[in-house]
Amino acid sequence: MGRGTVFIRRRDGRIEVRLNDGGREFVKEQFTMLIAAQQDVHHEWFSTLSAPIDPSQDDDDPLRSLERQKFVASNVELALMSSDDTFLNDAEAWAWLSSLQRALRANASSFGLADADDVEQASEPQLNIVHSLQQLLFELADVLS
Amino acid sequence: MASVKPQRSTSTGQDVETNESVSTKRPWSVIVWDDPVTPMTVVVVIFRKIFGFPNAKATQLMMQVHNEGRSRVWSGERERAEGYCVRLHTHGLAATIEQDS
Repeated sequence: MGRGTVFIRRRDGRIEVRLNDGGREFVKEQFTMLIAAQQDVHHEWFSTLSAPIDPSQDDDDPLRSLERQKFVASNVELALMSSDDTFLNDAEAWAWLSSLQRALRANASSFGLADADDVEQASEPQLNIVHSLQQLLFELADVLS
Repeated sequence: MASVKPQRSTSTGQDVETNESVSTKRPWSVIVWDDPVTPMTVVVVIFRKIFGFPNAKATQLMMQVHNEGRSRVWSGERERAEGYCVRLHTHGLAATIEQDS
């Protein structure tokens, strides 16, 4: 039904996931890293995942920070729970998209990729991770649009 | 003479109150920032989902982020701006809020 090769929208509305075992493991690893990072202030992804809402203030409103933490936690937990599924509903697909997007930016930040020049000079292993996440996101965005 | 002083006092009080009111009502904006790795189509679908923008407007704002490094995607009350910013963060986009000058 869809144009993608990994995520395909079926006639019944579900989204089929055609990832091999290696792809599933990669996705699960990203989701697991997100869960670990948001609970560990020393994790290399923590600062990217906890960016300020209002940079003019020393600290964000604790209620807003908590709200963000809860949304992110529920998204990535839903994504991880459905990471072995062959079919996703839209809520699960959105949880995958938001979690993969957060993982993409956290990886890029930990690799020091702040601009296009940095991306051009990134190492092969770093680019493999970035491009894999971008490809998944591109296809997911296509089926969700 | 006695009637003059209270009038001046009342007038000063009203001026101060008006200034505070104006200051509080300056709108807050939600700013989305460019980054070198996020696919353009992802930004568009997230804008459509969070703000309900039509595809053309979401694409226009995404292109502004891409070309100018940032885009003011929403403006209004601080609480709602914070809420939108939290949702953008939840979806993995770089966003902040700022009060309009």
